Amino acid sequence: MGKGHHDQGRRSFIKGVGTAGAVGLAGPMLLGSAQASNTQWDESYELVILGSGFAALAAGIEARKKGIERVVIFEKMPYFGGNSSINGGLFAAPVTPLQAEEGIEDSVEKMVEDQLIAGRGVAHRELLHHIATNAADALRMCEEAGAEFLPYLQQLGGHSVPRTYQTTVSSGGGITQPLQRECERLGVDLRNRCLFERFIQDESGRVVGVRIATRYYYDRDVNEGETISVEATRGVLVATGGFSQNIPLRVAQDPTLTEDIGSTNIPGATGEAMLAMFRLGAVPVHLAHIQTGPWASPDEGGFGYVSNYSIFNFPHSIAVAVDTGRRFMNEIADRKTRSDALLENRDDEGNPLPPILITSHAEAKKHPSAEKVLRYGVGWKFDDLESVASRFNILLEPLKAQIEEYNEYARTGEDKQFEKSMEHAKGKLIEPPFMVVRLWPKVHYTQGGVLVNTKAEVVDSITEKPIPGLYAAGEVTGGIHGVSRLGSCSIPECLVMGLTAARSVAGEMT
Amino acid sequence: MIYPDRTISNLLLASTTMVLLLGANSLAYGELKEFSGIEGRTFHEFMYRTDNCSSCHGVDDPVGYPEDGTCITCHSVDRLVEETMSESEEDRWQNPHDSLHWGRDVPCVECHGEHSNKAPLCADCHNFDYPGHQY
Repeated sequence: MGKGHHDQGRRSFIKGVGTAGAVGLAGPMLLGSAQASNTQWDESYELVILGSGFAALAAGIEARKKGIERVVIFEKMPYFGGNSSINGGLFAAPVTPLQAEEGIEDSVEKMVEDQLIAGRGVAHRELLHHIATNAADALRMCEEAGAEFLPYLQQLGGHSVPRTYQTTVSSGGGITQPLQRECERLGVDLRNRCLFERFIQDESGRVVGVRIATRYYYDRDVNEGETISVEATRGVLVATGGFSQNIPLRVAQDPTLTEDIGSTNIPGATGEAMLAMFRLGAVPVHLAHIQTGPWASPDEGGFGYVSNYSIFNFPHSIAVAVDTGRRFMNEIADRKTRSDALLENRDDEGNPLPPILITSHAEAKKHPSAEKVLRYGVGWKFDDLESVASRFNILLEPLKAQIEEYNEYARTGEDKQFEKSMEHAKGKLIEPPFMVVRLWPKVHYTQGGVLVNTKAEVVDSITEKPIPGLYAAGEVTGGIHGVSRLGSCSIPECLVMGLTAARSVAGEMT
Repeated sequence: MIYPDRTISNLLLASTTMVLLLGANSLAYGELKEFSGIEGRTFHEFMYRTDNCSSCHGVDDPVGYPEDGTCITCHSVDRLVEETMSESEEDRWQNPHDSLHWGRDVPCVECHGEHSNKAPLCADCHNFDYPGHQY
C-alpha cells in the first residue's frame, strides 16, 4: 500500500464522519411504541430482526431461504452474536446421528419429559414438543453452515440419556460465527451499535416498524449517530435475549440475586425490548424464574473456562463441601437443585464457602478446556489427597473416607448417597493425580419473558390473540422451560423458534 | 521523525512486532502522554503534531468517538491477526484479533483506548495474559 493510497483512504473517511455530530443519551428515551401516522420512514425492510444471537441468525437465514427479500439484523452491542456468542456451545437434540452411532435410544417424548420434570410442572409442553421435534433439523442447519461438533455426546444434568452435542471450540461462537457468515452470504444486512428504542404501530395496532438509535456505545450508554425510523412491512422479530445483567429488574423478580452475584452473560443482556413488548400488551410469564449456573467458578469472570470443564466432568466427579469433606448433592441433578445446594455452603457469618469439584486428572484432561483451566490458574492439579486437603482447608480423614465411599458406587454403578445416574461414570474411580476447581453459582438464564405460541407470535394479554406483526424467539420469551431449564436446551429452543418465526413471517406456519 | 517511502501502517506493524518480542521491557512504548491538552498514545505522536483531532474524528472539536473502522484506515486487521497468532494450534482461536466468539469483527475501541487506558474485552471472562496489549 503506497502513501497515496493511504491519504486517499483517510480523505474518504473524513468525508464519511463529517455529518455525524448528534449525540444523545440513549437509555431514558425508551417508550413502548409510537404511531405510524406521524412517522417518516428513513429505511424500509420486509423483516426487521432485533438481536443477533442464535434465534436472530437462524431467522435471518431462514427468511432469506423462504424468499423474504429485505432482512436486517439490528444489534446494540459492538459485536454480533449476542450472549449466544459466549455460551457453552452445548446443543441437545433427540434422535441424532451421534445417538445412532453410540446406540442410544431416545425420542422427542423422552426429551420433553426430562424437561417437564426440571420445569417442576409449569413448563410449556406444547412448545417443548415443537422444539424437540425440530431440534435435529436445526442441528443439521448449523452443520451445513459450517459449525463443527465434538465427535461424542455428553449427558448433562437432568437428561435421562446422553443427547448433547458440543461445538469443537466449546462455545456458542462455534455456531454464531458460521451462522453470521451464512447471513452475510445470503444478503441479510447486519448492523451493530444499533439500539432498539421503541416499536411503531399503525392505527390497527399492527407493529409496522421500530425506532433505532445508531452508533450506540453500551459502556457509556450514548448514541452518537442519528435515530432512525425503520419500516418492517412483514414483521418485527424480537430475539434480544434475557435480562440476567439488568440487576434492578432481576432483583425485583428474585431478591436473592443481588449485585454481588456474578453473571455469565454479556453486559448487553438487559431486556429493554422485552419490557417494550410488555408495554404493547405481551403476556409476562415466569419472570421470577431466574437460573444460576451451578458449574461456574468464583476464580474467573463470566462463563470463563471452568463452566464447560465442570459440565463435562460432573458425571464422574464429586462436589465436596470444604467444611465437612463430604458430598452434598447429586452432581448431575438439574441446575436449580445443584445451585440451591451449592449456595448453602456458607460460614457462620453467611459468607460463601465455595465447594470444590474433585476429578481424576486422567478423566478431566479429556475435555479441551482442562488444559486452559490449569494454565489460567482457575483449577489445580494435585498428586495426592493430602495436598488437596491442605490447600482447601479440608479435614483429610472425612475427605479420604468420602472418596473411598464414592469409588465403591463407581464400581457398582449405584450411587447410594445421592442416586446420581452412573451411566457415564461406572468404573471411573476418583484416583490421583486429582484435578480440582472451585464452584459458586452465577446468574445464567432468565426463564421468564413474553408468551409466544408455536408460530413464535407474541400473544396479547387482553385479546389472547397474536399482536399483529410481532414475533419473538429465544431467551426473551418466557415459560417454555418452567422453573429450571435443562442445560443444552437453550440452543435448540433459540434456533427452532428463530426458524419458526421466519416461516411464520413467510406465511408457512398456518 | 521522517517517514520516507514506508507507509504508516507498515511502521506501526513493525512496532507491534517489536512490542510482542520485547514483552514487558517495552511497556514505555505506547504509553499515554500529554499532547497539547489531551493524552494520547506515544506511537501516534506524529498525528498530534499534524492533523490533531480531525485526523481520526473528522472534525476539530469532536464530542464523541470516531466511527468504527477509523483505525483500520491505517492498520490492517489481517496483519494484526497474523502478528498476534499463536504458534500453538490449541490457542488458534484465542487470538484477540480473530477469536472463536467474534472472529475479526470486534471494533478496535472495545479493547484499545487512544486517550485513556482500557482493559481488553476478553478480561470480562478470562484471565488471559496479553503482554503486548496497550491498555
